[in-house]
Amino acid sequence: MNEKIAAYAHPDVLVSTDWLASHLDDPSLRIIESNEDVLLYDTGHVPGAVHIDWRRDLNDQTVRDYIGPEQFARLCSAHGITPDTKVVFYGDKSNWWACYAFWVFQLFGHRNAAVVDGGRAKWVAENRTLTREIPKPSTAVYPQPAARNDAAIRAFYHETLAHMQAAKPMVDVRSPGEFRGEVTHMPEYPQEGVLRGGHIPGAQSCPWATAANPDGTFKSVDDLRAIYQSGLGLNPTDDIIAYCRIGERSSHTWFVLTYLLGFSSVRNYDGSWTEWGNMVRSPIERSTT
Amino acid sequence: MAEHPQALKDIIDLCAGLAETERREMLISFADGAARQAPQPGESFDLEDTRKDEECTDTVGVFLRIDDARRCHFRITLGPQVQTLTRAMTTILCQGFNGASPETVLDAPADFVPQIVGAELVRLRSQTVYYVLGRMKSAVKVWLNRERAASA
Repeated sequence: MNEKIAAYAHPDVLVSTDWLASHLDDPSLRIIESNEDVLLYDTGHVPGAVHIDWRRDLNDQTVRDYIGPEQFARLCSAHGITPDTKVVFYGDKSNWWACYAFWVFQLFGHRNAAVVDGGRAKWVAENRTLTREIPKPSTAVYPQPAARNDAAIRAFYHETLAHMQAAKPMVDVRSPGEFRGEVTHMPEYPQEGVLRGGHIPGAQSCPWATAANPDGTFKSVDDLRAIYQSGLGLNPTDDIIAYCRIGERSSHTWFVLTYLLGFSSVRNYDGSWTEWGNMVRSPIERSTT
Repeated sequence: MAEHPQALKDIIDLCAGLAETERREMLISFADGAARQAPQPGESFDLEDTRKDEECTDTVGVFLRIDDARRCHFRITLGPQVQTLTRAMTTILCQGFNGASPETVLDAPADFVPQIVGAELVRLRSQTVYYVLGRMKSAVKVWLNRERAASA
């Protein structure tokens, strides 16, 4: 484990590209690529990596929700994952979707999981091997989890509203323009549709990318403390909700706060602005800063 | 119903009926050709529309030339972070609309997109697959407005 990773609160959930390269043939691992770019995996991926798409594989296909325990067990089984398998996530966009997939796996209690620091971009930048060969792992036995445990790490609308009314800390990880209500969508980006702009009253703006270096790696623990503890005034024992537009960027921030800084109570409001900004009579604040 | 240009019809026919795996390989092949759709040295254009979104994606530049016979010729530049589907659609649309009239591009119904990329990818990333088409139509619309203003 390198020095930077060792300094985080839970260093076991982050691996380096060096570590990954030396564990490609480790049968106790399953490497999972999870991207925004739906064809990126097909253009080449880390040898042995399987593909999990956030929308196809992790979202319920009818209701706006995540898959249930039965579907999760089926997904893991199909990818040769057992409850003992260490799942290692990486992906594009500085690991947005890798963190999102990691978060969904935590809803089902799959604790043996990690994210590759720097994600796909770092692996590619280091000229490491990519392949188009699709692995075909043998089907594994993954017992169906008893339940999906949303309560600890997922926030719903009514919980976020109560959180706001109690003036508890919230982090809006969208871009500054979205926070200020100047824009409700990004013209060059898939549009999930929202009717009102602004932010949840009382939320602090701290774009997700603040926690990432230009190469997609996470910033050092000291830098992260400076951002979230000194900068935003958050404490490790605070009850915190992070949100963005659909919960993917806030998964990144949830991962940072929970695992890299060791905060004990962080929830991801995955309904995020596409729910809040569309809900009739949702309180909304706009600001110029 | 507006007719698609022959070049676009040929691509639609090529992709129609492909199995999902073959379709993805075809799309990646088109994506690999996206860099060749960039403006070439010495070319000039009637309209250039380059935009960058600072948060999520990269710069996409649409360059439109209308020749004396009112035929469209598109060039497109893509930043390195632009998604693979967008790259594929860039090649497909630059080739498919090359030589088409501005009205043909503007009136082209978007229903051909699912035929090319497949219903599964449209369902998963519906906006991404229509993005370049929207940008090209916007460029043509601006050009047509200018033409109308010039002739008024």
